[in-house]
Amino acid sequence: MKRVGVFICHCGTNIGGVVDCPKVAEIAKDYPGVVYSVDNKYMCSEPGQELIKKAIKEQNLDRVVVASCSPRMHEPTFRRCVENAGMNAYFMEMANIREHCSWVHASEKDKATEKACDLVKMAVAKAIMNKPLQKATIPVTDRALVIGGGIAGIQAALDLANAGHVVDIVEKEPSIGGKMAQIDKTFPTLDCSACILTPKMVDASSHPNINLITYSEVEKVEGFVGNFDVTIRKKARSVDMSVCTGCGVCMSKCPSKVDSEFEMLLSKRKAIYTPFPQAIPNKPVIDRDNCTYFKTGKCGICQKVCTLGAIDYTQEDEFVVTRYGAIVISTGFEQFDHSVYGEYGYGKYPDVITGMHFERLINASGPTMGKIKRPSDGKVPKNVVFIKCVGSRDVAKGKSYCSKTCCMYTAKHATLVTEKIEDSNVYIFYMDVRTGGKGYEEFYNRTREKYDAQYIRGRVSKVFKQGDKLIVRGEDTLLSQAVEIEADMVVLATAMVPQADASKLAQKIGIGYDKDHFFTEAHPKLAPVETHTQGVYLAGACQGPKDIPESVAQASAAAAKACGLLSKSEMLTEPIISVVNESICVGCGLCVPICPYKAIDLKTISERDHGKTIERLVADVNGGLCQGCGACTVACRSGALDLKHFTDQQILAEVNALCL
Amino acid sequence: MVDLTLEIRKTAKELLEKGEAKVVLGWEKGNFPYSTTPVFIDKPEDTERLIWDEYCINNLALYMLDYKHLDGKVGIFVKGCDSRGINRLVQDKQLDREKVILIGLSCPGMKDEKKAKELGPNADIPMAQKCQDCRYPDPVVYDVFLGEKQNKKVPEKIDTSDVEEMETKSPDEKYRFFTTNYEKCLRCYACRNVCPACNCKECIFDQTATGWLAKANNVSNNMFFALTRAMHVGGRCIECGECERVCSVNIPIMLLNKKIIKDINFLFGDYDAGLETEERLPLGGYDYTDPEEFM
Repeated sequence: MKRVGVFICHCGTNIGGVVDCPKVAEIAKDYPGVVYSVDNKYMCSEPGQELIKKAIKEQNLDRVVVASCSPRMHEPTFRRCVENAGMNAYFMEMANIREHCSWVHASEKDKATEKACDLVKMAVAKAIMNKPLQKATIPVTDRALVIGGGIAGIQAALDLANAGHVVDIVEKEPSIGGKMAQIDKTFPTLDCSACILTPKMVDASSHPNINLITYSEVEKVEGFVGNFDVTIRKKARSVDMSVCTGCGVCMSKCPSKVDSEFEMLLSKRKAIYTPFPQAIPNKPVIDRDNCTYFKTGKCGICQKVCTLGAIDYTQEDEFVVTRYGAIVISTGFEQFDHSVYGEYGYGKYPDVITGMHFERLINASGPTMGKIKRPSDGKVPKNVVFIKCVGSRDVAKGKSYCSKTCCMYTAKHATLVTEKIEDSNVYIFYMDVRTGGKGYEEFYNRTREKYDAQYIRGRVSKVFKQGDKLIVRGEDTLLSQAVEIEADMVVLATAMVPQADASKLAQKIGIGYDKDHFFTEAHPKLAPVETHTQGVYLAGACQGPKDIPESVAQASAAAAKACGLLSKSEMLTEPIISVVNESICVGCGLCVPICPYKAIDLKTISERDHGKTIERLVADVNGGLCQGCGACTVACRSGALDLKHFTDQQILAEVNALCL
Repeated sequence: MVDLTLEIRKTAKELLEKGEAKVVLGWEKGNFPYSTTPVFIDKPEDTERLIWDEYCINNLALYMLDYKHLDGKVGIFVKGCDSRGINRLVQDKQLDREKVILIGLSCPGMKDEKKAKELGPNADIPMAQKCQDCRYPDPVVYDVFLGEKQNKKVPEKIDTSDVEEMETKSPDEKYRFFTTNYEKCLRCYACRNVCPACNCKECIFDQTATGWLAKANNVSNNMFFALTRAMHVGGRCIECGECERVCSVNIPIMLLNKKIIKDINFLFGDYDAGLETEERLPLGGYDYTDPEEFM
């Protein structure tokens, strides 16, 4: 007979205030196998853990049940605790009497106590069935992949590289820099965005440990933590990077002009181009969709003017497979498609623009050389209206979430308008003003008080044209009256949304994403940069709306996590994985497509059958890939697949303890 | 049918004589006019035993499991339901399509042997229920075809009117319906043994040590068996109706199978199992875009 010790935690008053813990401990003494049962104020505290260790020795326990909080936080704590006392870590079983009991039954104390007893009883039954499990080791490849070369990706790469790890940055655009490169000033200090970003871009490109793989995308991800085999598609640049010096003659001579994406279509670029002057690498690519040579077969001017012969029209997409130990995803955001707000007239009136257009209009290297001019007629606007929450906090037409950055960048835009245009008036339609962050509230107050921006609480119902003015009709809900403003320009603060192909990337890598397609972190509070797939970390706005300081902070956090993984040549693997009972596995292979982690394959085994040697297929679980989710065990109708530590027998023991 | 019987014998004989097949699976006459049973022929001279009549109702596909490791090919006569059973086994990786020669026969619908037994020799015997519900009388896959295809017009979708009727009943009525039926269950496992989708090496119901299902015959255990069986063939049931046909206590087993088919059609789009072997099963994959509306 096993000797089980039961330890009931009060968690201060979290559990103790609802559940009668001493009573539970008393009742637990009579459960089969229990030889010792005690309650304590904080089981996770040093004295609490000492109590467990002492009891294991003195009572000669071979199983431990801790009834406390969710195992999410303290299962590792108690596993370590029993391990220190010489017991296999997996002989410790937790009963969650906080989240599953006291917190949800606070008003029914007697019933909560009864339920706590049942939960403990089940945990005791399972603990008795628990088997000793051992961690195995797998090798770790000391190389990291950063997907997305915006500020978050650059920061993560720099931190990893400075810690001595080799990093590849994959960026789908021809240059690194991301959205921050398009932004003019940064709040709340109003430093020039490019001035603080470009040095980091240069650092990244010149760092001996960093390789930039621009104009490339992740095609396929195989393997598992420590050993991801990533296929990267290097799109054909049509320019030989090893030869090109970035002199720019080809760009100046190219006759095809195209709307520049970097300039938010407000000015033109060439078909052979770098997105912006400070691009890194500062070597052009040919936009084949708009290149005369690729469209008609005639032209070839760039090839003629290039004295180094760097132009190569025959280049094809190249696929490279590299093994990485860790992956940091920092794919950032896009602007919400606000065409659903037809009433704001975007697309109909050229002077209704988005915040990102505005960034380009006030940027000294932008299409207007930093002079704020109306896109329609080049006049300097006097009355500028900003509409906030376009797509954010709108369950009906947009996204339910707050995009977090708009309040601050609109305040920034308002100050810049007032600074740059004399006698200008700024009106800001808002729902709430949210300025959480260091120096943010002060900046907002300055915008109102010193720069005299008119904040109008209410939504805009319509924007329409009258003469060369835009009439903005809305409501001031604080005064309960309709307002109409004659504006020269309207700026929409559009919501932040993840990249359009974010869900596809998540599927390739095998990580989760939420209803808005932001990538899901492993735990919103305690593992905010990890994903449920070990070795894959998140940085920046791909995980949720973030401003620059937050993106940079998260990037460094993700890098620190990746460093922790890459700093060892081997890592321990979780032993809670699926196992195949080959003797009853029928080899139907249903578990193969069911597995979200691609951890199961079929293999051929040979065995003796009626005097003959026969060959047959059976499932084979890759212990490195398996995350122990248990999907396969449900799909297996023969019951040949079982999840260690959650075996059918162990679960049934719990059910029987409760029901029989 | 007499002409076809002769052709069947000839084809089987040729296969065995030329050594193309080591065994041929077909049907032979049983002890009564209304009984026709599967037969396994391995000598050319025995092919005279093969027949084709209005009682060749057994789905032969399942017997292929006995020849999994045979050196050489197996010839098998297939009606619509048998051919879907073959696809079932191929998709479940229990049968190598290369190792089987499928001889297709168009099925006119077989007669109900139980009714024939009741009504006596001179009565007009109705078609078996499973054949009345059949939507694929012509084989969906074959290597050789004997006779002519009838290209009968069949309903596009499975008839689930009986399931819908059951769904309108109150939980109590439903529970009573199932307990009354499963009280009768003998747990003879004939429904499992005859099912081409039940192709496990060792059935979960035979693994008594796991403790899923007790041996005792009572409503609780019987219903647990019935529900588990239905779930285990969920998304893979080829609607051949053999389970219900062989039930010695006349439990409407197909009602449960059809309920699951109906739900799958509703949730994942119309799906007829056993029509092909490559497509992923509706319950056989992990999909990141699964909306998870219940979460």
